[in-house]
Amino acid sequence: MTSYAFPPHAVPVVPVEGSPEVFPVRRILCVGRNYAAHAREMGGDTRDPPFFFAKPADAAVPLPTTVPYPSATADLHHEIELVAALKAGGENLTPEQAIALVFGYAVGVESTPLGLSRVERQAT
Amino acid sequence: MTSFAVPPPPLPTVPVEGSSAVFPVRRILCVGRNYAAHAREMGADTRDPPFFFAKPADAVVPLPTTVPYPSATSDLHYEIELVAALQGGGENLTPEQAIELVFGYAVGVDLTRRDLQNAAKAKGHPWEAAKAFDASAPVSAIRPMSGLPPEGAIFLTANGVEKQRGQIADMIWNVAEVIAQASHLWKLEPGDLIFTGTPEGVGPIVRGDQIAGEVEGVGRLAFTLV
Repeated sequence: MTSYAFPPHAVPVVPVEGSPEVFPVRRILCVGRNYAAHAREMGGDTRDPPFFFAKPADAAVPLPTTVPYPSATADLHHEIELVAALKAGGENLTPEQAIALVFGYAVGVESTPLGLSRVERQAT
Repeated sequence: MTSFAVPPPPLPTVPVEGSSAVFPVRRILCVGRNYAAHAREMGADTRDPPFFFAKPADAVVPLPTTVPYPSATSDLHYEIELVAALQGGGENLTPEQAIELVFGYAVGVDLTRRDLQNAAKAKGHPWEAAKAFDASAPVSAIRPMSGLPPEGAIFLTANGVEKQRGQIADMIWNVAEVIAQASHLWKLEPGDLIFTGTPEGVGPIVRGDQIAGEVEGVGRLAFTLV
């Protein structure tokens, strides 16, 4: 039995519709600029390959009724997204192999402090 | 009892020196450009406030002996870093409050796909592909200690040749300030690891290279890239 230096955090989970089981969240990956009009409004070339960023797994707020306004921003934005939940893994997959990983889908909102995002882009 | 739809991921942990208990990793935050000379070699104004990026918690490779060369890069770089391990949490902390969160310190290597990072910088894209890949955070055992870290040397060798050397005392923002700054952006929790930046001398490594790093008074690690 593993002994921890202090109580470990709980694995983040998301409910599964029609089931008492929950989906354990390992990582959250996000795609930037995947709709042509949004890509244009953010200044992207629609023909670029997708790029990814990440959120901590425990940033998930399952079945939210309230969400706290975050610190350090005065310009919090909503970004509605389709979320794919994976039941299996792999690497160097073809699209045909990749789609077989899907457990189900959810609706998510990516809350982005755009002011910080812009600062990051300028700083880096 | 929670019933999972798919097997939950194992909790990432790091051994604790002199203890059978392990440190459960919640998040990994990293500071960019925290030593003046490295900031200059990367082209930054050294007076900027610290900025942060993250790695997945399960990117840790505790007590590494071998580390896999990652996919999608031909320019993998090492960055030796002092790692602060937190046993407490909080937000909007002062440096004096922040240093109280420290459980101990470890030695880590922030592995970086430099070619992907340079491409991301050029496009204003996020750094995850460059920084947050699998096995991108080899780390030594955590040495329990409180307060600021010992002010010794931090250095890295590749195949026995010294590549990086700096002094913990030369950090632009010290550990207390780094934790405090992070706590204004995220609520920190027990289990968070904070990579505190790297001194100058970063460079490429290839399969077969033997990497060794040390922070005096904290520990060392050594691994082969495979």
